[in-house]
Amino acid sequence: MKRTRLLRGTVDVLVLKTLAGRELHGYAIAASIAERTEGALGIEDGALYQSLHRMEERGLVESAWGHADTGKRAKFYRLTAAGREQMAAETAGWIRYAEAVFKVLRPA
Amino acid sequence: MSGIFKRPSRGVRRKRSQIRAEVDEELRFHVETLVSELVARGLTPAAARAEALRRFGDYRETEEVCVSADERRELKRERRRFLDEVWSDVRHGARQMRRRASVSLLAIGTLAVGVGATTAIFSAMDHVLLRPLPYDGAERVMTLWETDTRESDPTLEVSAGNFHEWKQRSTVFEAMGLAEPTSFDLSTEGRPEAVPVSAVTEGYLEALGARPIRGRRFTPEDYLPNASPVVLISHGMWQQRFGGASGVVGETLRLDGGDATIVGVMPPSTKYPEPTDLWAPKVLRAREQVDRVSQYMAAVGRLKPGVTAGQAQADLSRVASHLAAEYPSTNATLGVRVVPLRERLLGSIGPTLLTMFGAVTLVLLIACANVAGLMLAAGMERGRELAVRASLGASRGRLLLQLVTESLLLAAIGGLIGIGIAYVAIRGLVLLSPPDLPRFDEIGLDGRVLAFALVLVVLTALLSAIAPALRFSRPDLNATLRGSSRSATAGPDRQRARGVLVAAQVSLALVLLVGAGLLMRSFVALTSNDLGFAVEDRVSLQVFLWDLNPTEEQRARRIVELEETFRATPGVVDAGVVSALPFHPHQIASQTRLAIEGRPVAGELPSVNTALASAGYFTTMEIPLKAGRLFDDRDRADAPPVVLINEALARRFFPGEDPLGRMITLGATSTPRPREIIGIVGDVRPVAHDSDPRPEVFVPFSQVPSGSATFVVHAEDAAAKLPMLRDRLWSVDDRQSIYHSATVEQLVGRTLVERRLHLVVLGAFSLLALVLASVGIYGVVGFMTAQRVNEIGVRMALGAQRPAITRMILASGLRLVLPGILIGLAAALALTRFLASMLYGVAPTDALTFVQVSLLLVLVAVAAAYVPARRVLSGSPIRQVMQ
Repeated sequence: MKRTRLLRGTVDVLVLKTLAGRELHGYAIAASIAERTEGALGIEDGALYQSLHRMEERGLVESAWGHADTGKRAKFYRLTAAGREQMAAETAGWIRYAEAVFKVLRPA
Repeated sequence: MSGIFKRPSRGVRRKRSQIRAEVDEELRFHVETLVSELVARGLTPAAARAEALRRFGDYRETEEVCVSADERRELKRERRRFLDEVWSDVRHGARQMRRRASVSLLAIGTLAVGVGATTAIFSAMDHVLLRPLPYDGAERVMTLWETDTRESDPTLEVSAGNFHEWKQRSTVFEAMGLAEPTSFDLSTEGRPEAVPVSAVTEGYLEALGARPIRGRRFTPEDYLPNASPVVLISHGMWQQRFGGASGVVGETLRLDGGDATIVGVMPPSTKYPEPTDLWAPKVLRAREQVDRVSQYMAAVGRLKPGVTAGQAQADLSRVASHLAAEYPSTNATLGVRVVPLRERLLGSIGPTLLTMFGAVTLVLLIACANVAGLMLAAGMERGRELAVRASLGASRGRLLLQLVTESLLLAAIGGLIGIGIAYVAIRGLVLLSPPDLPRFDEIGLDGRVLAFALVLVVLTALLSAIAPALRFSRPDLNATLRGSSRSATAGPDRQRARGVLVAAQVSLALVLLVGAGLLMRSFVALTSNDLGFAVEDRVSLQVFLWDLNPTEEQRARRIVELEETFRATPGVVDAGVVSALPFHPHQIASQTRLAIEGRPVAGELPSVNTALASAGYFTTMEIPLKAGRLFDDRDRADAPPVVLINEALARRFFPGEDPLGRMITLGATSTPRPREIIGIVGDVRPVAHDSDPRPEVFVPFSQVPSGSATFVVHAEDAAAKLPMLRDRLWSVDDRQSIYHSATVEQLVGRTLVERRLHLVVLGAFSLLALVLASVGIYGVVGFMTAQRVNEIGVRMALGAQRPAITRMILASGLRLVLPGILIGLAAALALTRFLASMLYGVAPTDALTFVQVSLLLVLVAVAAAYVPARRVLSGSPIRQVMQ
């Protein structure tokens, strides 16, 4: 459970960061995160969609149907103004957190 | 690409199944894309699908989470959209209101008056009728009365002796008590002032359920023979005399020359049997316990749990029949009546308030009809606007919502102003009401009343939106859009709707006007009754002389002394004294048996009213001497006994004879000697404008010096002289208290207050109704005339004469009100009988009133039609057509 909670927060901030400045469908978001983390976090694709829909409910992202490169209908997401604020705040928080952990873990 | 992020079009509702389908499509797209990519990398389709699903995790859970998140989001959006729509309607309504300022102001004013008046009357009803009585377990409190088969009054006061027996023998009450209305002399800085006191027996306050707000009730010890005197004081006395000081319990009052300790303060609402300043313990003396004749006390009983009023009545009737058998000389004709306290207190005011509420409801309905009519009239251009909206896809419900929002907006503003009006109206109502109307002083605006006003606002908004909604929510799109704005609104349909509204208004107004007219005629008939005595510039001072003047000689001397002192006061024209003044609230009337000398006695002797008087009484009150002479110096205590009779007695007992010089014997005077009739005086109305003169005998004070004396003084500007007259009285004896003093005008006015209240309230309502209905009629006739400007112009161009046109327009006004008048007459015929108890000298179906009111409404209709007719006729016909 502890891991999932940590993971969900992680997924949210990663999704927000990934959507910064662009509109992507879910598959593209998953692909982008997997590519940039080199699969290290092992996020399940389902968790990603749950995160997207919850954040849409909270008004952080909005969605609309469009067409993927393959021509198929796909649902595209983008950040709302609230989402951009949230992303900036969360990103800064995560970096501070990561640095603090890193300072402790780095050999003196 | 960003074009797809436009807001979804309004009114599109995403159904649950659609949400699920979209989530499904989105997730499937993800899996399919991954599968095809994996296949491209060389996996078999089956392996690719397995790998894709593994990477996805729990597909079902994800689907559920996404669907429920979307559903919540959709719900929120719908709610917001609805609020947006309402808000836009409100803004739209506000714009419309500003655009049609005069119509809106009229509607708002109409609603304000309707809501204000209704709220005020509801407040009165609520506080007086609907709230529980301010006594513990008031539903179990019964008031007890004696009945006498020889009397017409069904509820007589109770004698101490009979009450004593009831209490001993009945089994249905857990507490019973008697209250004796009396008075004590309360001395402040040496000046005695008579204050009303309820002397209550042990158990009275418990039976009534009256509980002090400070201190305690009387305890059994307070009723012991040598207990030190204690009193409970009223809330009013606590406030006025002690400034509401918290330490009042334990203070003493100087009462009847002794000190009494205050043990508690009663709440302001404790007023049964009548408002009083003090409560004191009363122990029935041995003599009182066997007095089964003097009926002057108020009795209450508290039913044991589970006992009904009917059972109590049966039980006490059983006791009464035993008493009748045991004491036939006093109790043969006596019985008991049990009346629940609530019925006793509120029984008479209930119908009055219900009548007022009925009347105000009619006013409110007229107001609603008016607003509906105004909105219909204002809808001339609205027809097009709404048709356009409908053609652009607005649903019928949407248009209805808009209409209701608009009328709610009007009603809300009207309601706010109405609450202000209610506040003022309530103050007026309380000021107008007689002081002895139960609980009227408690009326006010509070949460409950405001809640009622709120409900009223919503109701009026809905009611006044009905007619426009029916009309506009199914606009004939084609006709309205294609045709001119006129043809779109002047259809027969619309005319009929407005005709119905006017008929309703006229008929409601007619009912109210007939009611007010009947009350007005009653009031005039009543007040034009000759009372038989002069009212203006007369004051009365009532004193009881027994305590300070125990012997007859002392009393006779004191009465003469006081009468002469008053007469000698500067500015005084005349003064006199009587034992029972007409219209006086504390009139001590006594009935005595009359025997006429030389006339055989057949059965029981007749009872007549007997009073003591001085000659000055008749001259001061201008009660005319019709024959013989008044009392004079000859009629001393030792002179031959004399009486005066009034004309009613002469007519009744000496028809066709000359009563002067005849001898009569009065049963109850201390010395039943034959008395000579020396004069006949005019009749007076004894207690009210509608009470018929009764046979009366007057005995001179000089021959029977009673201690019960009401002095009357005729002086210029008498009311202002009252304080001086009181001082003159104290200059004769500064220990003498004054029980009651008032101008005769006040005494007479007091009896009219309730009728005046009915008249003013119903009169005000009917006036309102008339104004509102006039506005309604004017609106419709004006509108109809405006519709016909073209037609009229053409007619005139073709040679029609102005008078003919005028007649045509006036006739259309008449046609409009006639159905309303007919319906109203029928309704009034059915309803006015509920007013019967408030009427005097006029039948509920008084033809003159009905005709006058109908004519008034016809006149209003003609006037309302005349104004637009003038306007049309004043212009040139050609210009009318060209416009």
